[in-house]
Amino acid sequence: MVIMTGNGHIIAVENLNLWYGGTIALRDVTMSIADKRVTALIGPSGCGKSTLLRCFNRMNDLVESCRIDGAVNFHGKNIYAPGVDPVAVRKEIGMVFQRPNPFPKSIYENIAYGPKVHGMKDTKKLDAIVEKSLKSAALWDEVRDRLHESAMGLSGGQQQRLCIARTLAVGPEVILMDEPCSALDPIATAKIECLIDELKRDYTVVIVTHNMQQASRVSDFTGLMYLGELVEYGDTRQIFEHPREQVTENYITGRFG
Amino acid sequence: MSDKFHDEIGLMKSDVIEMAHLARDMLSDSMKALVTDDETLAAEVKARKSELNDRHATMEEHIFQMIAIYQPVAKDMRSLACALQVVNDSMRIGRYGKDIANTVREIFEQPVIGNFISIPHMSELVISMIDDAILSYEQEDIGLIEGMSKRDDVVDSLRASIFRECLTYMMEDPGTISRCIYYVMIVRYLERCADHACKIAEKVYYMQTGERIEIK
Repeated sequence: MVIMTGNGHIIAVENLNLWYGGTIALRDVTMSIADKRVTALIGPSGCGKSTLLRCFNRMNDLVESCRIDGAVNFHGKNIYAPGVDPVAVRKEIGMVFQRPNPFPKSIYENIAYGPKVHGMKDTKKLDAIVEKSLKSAALWDEVRDRLHESAMGLSGGQQQRLCIARTLAVGPEVILMDEPCSALDPIATAKIECLIDELKRDYTVVIVTHNMQQASRVSDFTGLMYLGELVEYGDTRQIFEHPREQVTENYITGRFG
Repeated sequence: MSDKFHDEIGLMKSDVIEMAHLARDMLSDSMKALVTDDETLAAEVKARKSELNDRHATMEEHIFQMIAIYQPVAKDMRSLACALQVVNDSMRIGRYGKDIANTVREIFEQPVIGNFISIPHMSELVISMIDDAILSYEQEDIGLIEGMSKRDDVVDSLRASIFRECLTYMMEDPGTISRCIYYVMIVRYLERCADHACKIAEKVYYMQTGERIEIK
């Protein structure tokens, strides 16, 4: 559909088709994701935006009936090529989900878990990673005195920032967010939105959201998905001021969806 | 956004058009009062100023509230931006109508100079520009405003030529100075009204296409 010009792209999707059993969920999606920018995917329920997001770190591999055709190139290499380890892909391209899902462990252990799985044992280094990740996720000041208390005692918004910190702890380049604020109240949502704005200094963020105001506030680029197709993709300001496609116009002005 | 919002946009639009017609009529009636030396009509025009003010305040508040409540985007946003422009320019056009009505009293029952030179002709051109700008907003038809820039050029030329003619009259007979000064002011008001019609046309174009153009 649209390939953004320029060199600063970290992910390039080429002619991606995806089926769940006999049902096609993505149709010939071609797009590139700008490095260290926020890209939002919007569209009505069932349009394929979450499916597309999950293709970026092979989360759809976990769905048995799923079949994929096409390429998702990360730094020019197809993550669906034979021999690519999905776990290694997910270390580089992390994900934050709709509902905060902390492990039933301490705050510290939640963050240290990923680096430990990837083989880190040095406690000083782990301490440093925990602190850095929590700072990057704007949570450090709120939890520094209770790192060893259960993460389940945090508020919903804090839990979601903890999940972001947990993603950051393994040093990804890209963070995928699947409706990260839909279970949060407006204040917690505002904090996550501020955080997304800060994260793009060091990370590339791709966010799926049902909230169009959120897409317009946080993203640099917006893609509109409809019936499995990427209908329009471009500069967020252009999309919300003057969309090119009638489908986009109708969706963002609330005429359907 | 809900259909309630689009219903409200529709209602707001008819209010905006009503206000634009009020302003347009203030201008055309003030010109009529001038040409027919009708002080009663001029007084009527002046009396409409408070209604114009009230409508402007109400419409502006309504548009701001709609922006705050519905946070419109795309065509919805551009429609509200255009409505705000029409409301503001109508306010100016109506007030120039009132200003022209004021001059009627100043030159009441005084001999007309040069059959008002080309002022009535110029006012017809300006009012037709305003009519087409309002109609293009109403019908969302940018075809109506295609020739706007050329029409504005004609208005500008008329202004310059009337100014020169007034200068000649004043030099020939200083007794015409006070009347000619009023003529020059009226011509200036009319020229400004044509500019406001162009500003409305620019925003209608933006509402319809999303592109900003400059008409001058």
